[in-house]
Parts: sequence; C-alpha cells; structure tokens
Amino acid sequence: MATISVPDRPTRARGIQFAPPVRLIGIGLLVPLLGLAAWTVGARQGWVPPQILPAPQVVWDTFLELWQSGDLLANTLISLQRVLFGFAAGASLGLLLGTAMGLSRPFEAYASVLFTSLAQVPALGWIPLAMLLVGIGESLKLIIVAVGTLVPVAWNTRAGIRAVPSGWFEAASLWRYSRAQVVWHIVLPATVPQIFVGLRYGLGHAWLALVVVELLASSEGLGYLLVWGRQMFQLDVVIATMAVIGAIGFALDAALAAIERRLQRWQVASP
Amino acid sequence: MTATRQRRLDWRGLVPVVVLLAAWEAISRSGLTDTRIVPPLEGLVGLLGTEVAEKSLLGNLAASIVRDLSGFALGASLGVVGGILLGLSPLASALLRPSFDVFRQIALFAWIPLIAMWFGIGEASKIVFVALAAFTPTLINTVEGTRSASATLVEVGALLRYRRSQMLLAIYLPAALPSILTGVHLALIQSWLATIGAEYFMTAGPGIGTLIIEGRDRFQMGQTVLGMILIGAVGFLLNRIARAAENRLLRWRTA
Amino acid sequence: MWSIANRLAAAAALLACLLAGTARAEDLTVRIGYASIGAGNRPFVGGTLAATAHAAHYVEDELKSDPGVKIEWFFFAGAGPAVNEAFANNQLDIALQGDLPSVIGRANGLRTKILLASGVNTPIYLAVPPDSDIKTVADLKGRRVALYRGTNLQLAFDKVLASKGLAERDLKIVNMDAATADAALASHDVDAAVGANELFELQKNGIAKIVYSTKGDDPAFGRNSALIAAASFEEAHPEIVQKIVTAFVRAALWSSDEANRDALFELWAKSGYPADSFRADFEGQPLKFRNSPLIDPFIVHQYEVQTQQARAYKLLRKDVDLTGWFEPKYAETALRQLGLEHRWTARDANGHDLGS
Repeated sequence: MATISVPDRPTRARGIQFAPPVRLIGIGLLVPLLGLAAWTVGARQGWVPPQILPAPQVVWDTFLELWQSGDLLANTLISLQRVLFGFAAGASLGLLLGTAMGLSRPFEAYASVLFTSLAQVPALGWIPLAMLLVGIGESLKLIIVAVGTLVPVAWNTRAGIRAVPSGWFEAASLWRYSRAQVVWHIVLPATVPQIFVGLRYGLGHAWLALVVVELLASSEGLGYLLVWGRQMFQLDVVIATMAVIGAIGFALDAALAAIERRLQRWQVASP
Repeated sequence: MTATRQRRLDWRGLVPVVVLLAAWEAISRSGLTDTRIVPPLEGLVGLLGTEVAEKSLLGNLAASIVRDLSGFALGASLGVVGGILLGLSPLASALLRPSFDVFRQIALFAWIPLIAMWFGIGEASKIVFVALAAFTPTLINTVEGTRSASATLVEVGALLRYRRSQMLLAIYLPAALPSILTGVHLALIQSWLATIGAEYFMTAGPGIGTLIIEGRDRFQMGQTVLGMILIGAVGFLLNRIARAAENRLLRWRTA
Repeated sequence: MWSIANRLAAAAALLACLLAGTARAEDLTVRIGYASIGAGNRPFVGGTLAATAHAAHYVEDELKSDPGVKIEWFFFAGAGPAVNEAFANNQLDIALQGDLPSVIGRANGLRTKILLASGVNTPIYLAVPPDSDIKTVADLKGRRVALYRGTNLQLAFDKVLASKGLAERDLKIVNMDAATADAALASHDVDAAVGANELFELQKNGIAKIVYSTKGDDPAFGRNSALIAAASFEEAHPEIVQKIVTAFVRAALWSSDEANRDALFELWAKSGYPADSFRADFEGQPLKFRNSPLIDPFIVHQYEVQTQQARAYKLLRKDVDLTGWFEPKYAETALRQLGLEHRWTARDANGHDLGS
C-alpha cells in the first residue's frame, strides 16, 4: 500500500480533526514501545554509556526514590505555586491592559508604542535585568512568569474586543447601557473565546518562563532539580524531572481547555 | 488620511516612552542609586559606541544570528518534511504523532541539560536546541496545512491521474502553504528565543545572551539593557521579514 | 564526457585523500579542558600550576618537536560538572578538574586516569556583605548561602559545616556559579557566598568581607584538583601524555620557586583577577605546598576520604572503586628525567612529611 497517497476518505472538511482509521490507533503505541525496548536493550548491552543515557529501569527507580523522599513533590508544589501566582498576576494585568486598549482608542494611542516595544523582548530577555533590580528571590520568579503571561493575554484581549461588531456598541448606546453594562453584557461574552486563546498561550508561556528562571537562579523547584541532575551528572534525575515537567505542562493546558469548552457552552446558552 | 492618523498615533504613543526615559534619567542623575545600576541615558548611547568599537558587539550579534539561522534552517526544514509525511500518510501519522505529542509537552528549556550532555560543548548543542525549537511549530502547522487541501481539488487530481509527486506539488503544497508559512514564522520567533536561552545555559561563547548575562554579573546594567534592546530589535526584524516574505509568497500563490 | 559513476569515483578518491590526510599520525589535536574560567569569561585562569602551564605555554613548548600535534584549550564557566559533560562526549582528552566532580564522573562510568596533582591544599573562603552579622560558620544556620553545587567547593564546604554540627539542609543553599555568586553577594541577594580567591577582589572593593577560611583549620578541609586524562587517550598516545605531563612538572617547578612569587601572581592575573587576590590567597603558605604535582599517599587518601564523604552526604549514589584510577608513572618519569625527585615533599596519608 502506498503511504503517500490520496487519503481513503477524501471528504474530510477543513478544520475537522483527522481521526486515523480504527485499525491504526493502537499503532501509536508501537513507536514508544519499540523505543523503550531499544533503550532497555541498548543500556543493558552498553551501546550507549550510562552517563549519556541511563537505563529506563534506573530512571524509573530514581523517579520512585524522588517521589518517596518527598523531594519531587515538594519541588513540584513550589513550581506550581510560582506559576499560578505569577500567571494570576500577569493575566489580571494583561486583561486590564488589553481591555483598556481595546475599549479606549486614546488609551491605545498612548500605550501601544511602549507596550509593543516592550513586548518585543521575551520573558527570557528580562531575567538579567530583573535580577539586577529585584535580586534572585521569589519576586524574580513571579515577575518573569507574569511578564511571560501578560503579553499574549493583553494582545488577545485587545484583538477580541476589536472584533466585536461596532453595531453592538451602537445598539448598547441606544439602550443607554452604562460602561460597566457594556463590558459585562456585550464585550465579555463576545470576547471570551479570544481571551481564552490568550490565557492558554499565557499559561504556556508562564510555564516555559518558570522553567527558565528556575534553571538560571533557584534553590528549589523543578527547574532546579534539572540543574542539580545536570551538575551531579545524574541524567536519570534530569529525565525523571523532564517527564514531570511535561505532565504538568499537559495538565495545565488540558485544564484551561476544559474550562474553555465549558465557558463556550455558557456563552452559547446565554442570550 | 492614513498619513495624518499615522502621525497622530506617533506623537501620542511617544508620550509614555518619553516619560519613562525622563524618569530613568532623573533617577540616574538624582544620585540615589548607583550609576552602574541605573546608568544615565547618554552613557547608554556612549556604551553602544564603545561596545561596537572595542568589544565587538557586532561580532556577538552576528554569532547569535548565525546560530539562530542555522538551527532554524535545520529545524524548520525537518519540520516541513516531517509535517508533509505525517499530513499525507495516515500510517506515519498513526505511528509517530502520539509520540510527538507526548514529547512536545515538555517545556522547551527543560531539554537543555539533556542536549548539553548529548551534544557536548561547542556549537552543536546550541544549534540542536534551536532546531528543536523551530521543529515543533513547523511540523504542527505543516500537518494542519496538508490536511486542509480541499477534497474537491484532491478528487480533481485523482481524476486527472496525477502522480504522487504531481499531487504533492500541484495540490497539497499550494493548499498547505499559508499554514506552513505560519509555522515557519512561529519557528523563527521560537528559534530566536531558543538562541538566547542556549547562550544563557550552555558553554560560554560569543553571543548576545552571553553579553547580557555578563552585564548582570558585573553590575553593568547598561550592557544588560543594551543586550535586551538588541534581542527585542532582532526579534522584531525577524518578525517583520517573516511577515513580508509570507505576504509575498502568498500573493504569488493567489496571482 | 564524465559519467555519473566517474564523478562518484573521483569524489570518493578525493574524500579518501582527505580522510587519509586527517588520519596521519602526526596530525593530532590535544584538547585540554580547565574547570574554571577567567573574569568576564576570559580564556585565562590562575591559582594552579596548570594555569601557569597554560599562560606560559609550557605544553606547546614541550611539543615543539612534534609539529603535527596541536593543543587546544577550553575553559568552563560550568566548572567541573561541565568538564564531565565534555568528557562524556569525547570532546576532551585531558582536563584539570576538582576532586568531587571527577569522583562523580568516575561514579557515572567516565573512564579517566589521574596523572598529576595540580592545585592541592586549596583553601575555600566564606564571604559575607560588610555589614553582615555573620561572624562564624555557625552563624550560617538558616541563612541564604551561595554555593556552586557539584564542584569541589561543595564537598569542602560540607566538611566545614559538619565540623560545626551543621549540614546543607540547615542552610538555604542557592546554587550559582562564581560570577553569579559575586553579583548576588554584592546585591545582598545571599547572606554569604562560598568561593575561592576571587572573593578577595570583592573584599578589596568593600563589597564583601571574608569571615572564614579553611587555611589554618583542619588540613583535611582543603580541596584538591588534578590533571586527568581520558583513559582512551592515555592508552592511545602514551608518548604525548608523557610530554604533556613533563610540561606540567616544569610549570610546577617554576610555580614552586619563591623567587617567582610576584611573577607568578602577575602571570595568573591574566585571568582578570588581580595579582593581589592570589597574593592574599597564598599568604603564609610556601608556593611548593600548593603547587606540588605529587600524587603522594596524602592526595590518594584525600580522594578516598572525599569519595566516602561524598557518599555519606548522598552526593554519590553508589560506592566508587578508586583502584587503578591513579596513574603516577608519567609524573614519576618526568621527575626522574628532570632530577626533581626531592623537590617536593611527599606526605603520608595523615599529612605528615615522609622522610626522604
């Protein structure tokens, strides 16, 4: 059978998630299983030196050991706490800023040049400056995570508000809606999807920024565990920590996606 | 009309910038803080001069950009090829996509220790890391793009008995182009970020990331700020170039 | 006209020539690593006889008669742990590395040989901001202390802590490299920093004061470092290794001569750390005490003790066998050839001079 060919079912429409035929679903496990087998055999036969790639069993044992000693949980909780606080701060500021820029043309005219130029520097680029200004304590982590969150949230909020048809605002002024009512009844429901796009990006950026800042200056957290594993030449610790970082990144995104679906249902249901 | 609006936007937008710079200058001159922490603005301009003249600022910048583009080229081309494969072959997609989706959950920078250990000192580690950053968005968007080819066109191709290569060139690639370009554009942004990260965390070598870390270590805030401005400016320019290229390529397609 | 086959054949021939060219015996690049870096990432270092060998080109001079052999030096801001990464990737042939990281490397399967001591009895210092209330090591309890983990500073510091009934967990250890630690100390981000002679520069500038040094305390608190070689390199090129070790012994001889004290510190100042810092670091100690190349019973015992202690502090997860790690034959040959058998005094395991 040809592998590159016209798909069996050419009726697929754009945007619909492509589902492989049922007989192919289980096949996705094949590659990881083969990889794991090669990894196990390779480690046992000494094809790759253990300092380059420790055996899966070793990684698993390390994971259990880190878990049982409480190190993994403690560091994970610290990282989660940092990311949530930083995200909350950055998202609130981003929402405020984005709403203000979206609703008020004059405000946008004043703020956009500064905001756009500052937004060009990624959170990563702010770290050394922030270190000079606030040191390497908890506030550094919060600031960097917040900076990472703020930009996408503000952009998307502003874009969402801009996308509200102007007729709706005219209607609102006919109904003599107050500014608060405009925001609550018109802007908010119409912009929720776009705001959520921003929040999901923001959370993704927040998590990335946190790992970076913990790699650079930290005495605890998952990023620190990575550094520790690297310096102590324990790649099993590194790999176990990477797995946790991946799982949390996935869980954070999935949680926001679930909320998003729920809100969209609410939005459809509301008049 | 656009011109006048443009001008009006300009001066109002500059107000907070000017206020910020004035505040900076005032703090710097007030003597309340160490001038190394808040250097006066004219010092910053002077610093730019000396950095360019004496300390090969341009060399550092060039090193970063070359590193960025090498990794980007490697990662993005692998991403496009992989994306076409996964987009067109249900078998390849079923085999590889789940693994890819699992691995991409790992925050990019968490790969640094492993990549440093696997590829060692020197440029190789950094370029591999930048390539990884470029690979993911290119692949995802290429897959989306190839799958977005309209069913009708595909049927037409089948009726015309197009060969596989013709199918790819005449139908799938043109349909996928906007999406591929989005992916490449994202990849360009990501790889610049990864370049700076690689310079922070991997063996010291010339580069903008090294420059700003050094500024921090030596309390030369001016050097750090200068580095940040360069990071922002290069990011902005790459973005602009990508957008222009995107528009041009898409115009060619529609023409 | 050329057929494709012809072109391929020509290309293959060209490639073969190129490969043969690079594989010639006399074309060899020896990659030497140093687990430290100068101020502002300068490719110069100070403080050990290996630093002398680098700055004064001892190795290059010794290999003058082998024009095919090139020496390439690498310096690592990531210190010993980064040297291990490079060894793991076969990117280094020889390196100067501290005791703890090289033990960690061995524990994780790196095949290396210890050829020569370089940088022995090195003190560590504890620096605090000038207005700090920390006066002794015991005051560190509960405070934020900068320490570069995985380097030989860590083990030495752990031993100092243990002597005061403390452990790392009684402090808030912040992991950072030397340059970052200096900045953090200056900005009061940490209450104290553990480091080497670079702290004297901070003290001179009024940014910090040094409140404790292992100098004059228990000699077992000092840290050591050594020249180590990738075992595969040592086996493949014993004659080159011999010449390199001989060069290092010559550097040790010059670095141990009190007549050169000032010149030595000036040479090391190429690292960007001023000669005064080295002067203060070496004050009250004979040069030959710190710049001895001997792998004597004391050094071997120190490595054994370090290994046991690293295990006890859980820096190592399994026991490490040091048998066969030390390869002093090159150093012995060099000493004999140069007639320097009695230049440095060997010590027994307890640090007492062995009568010669």
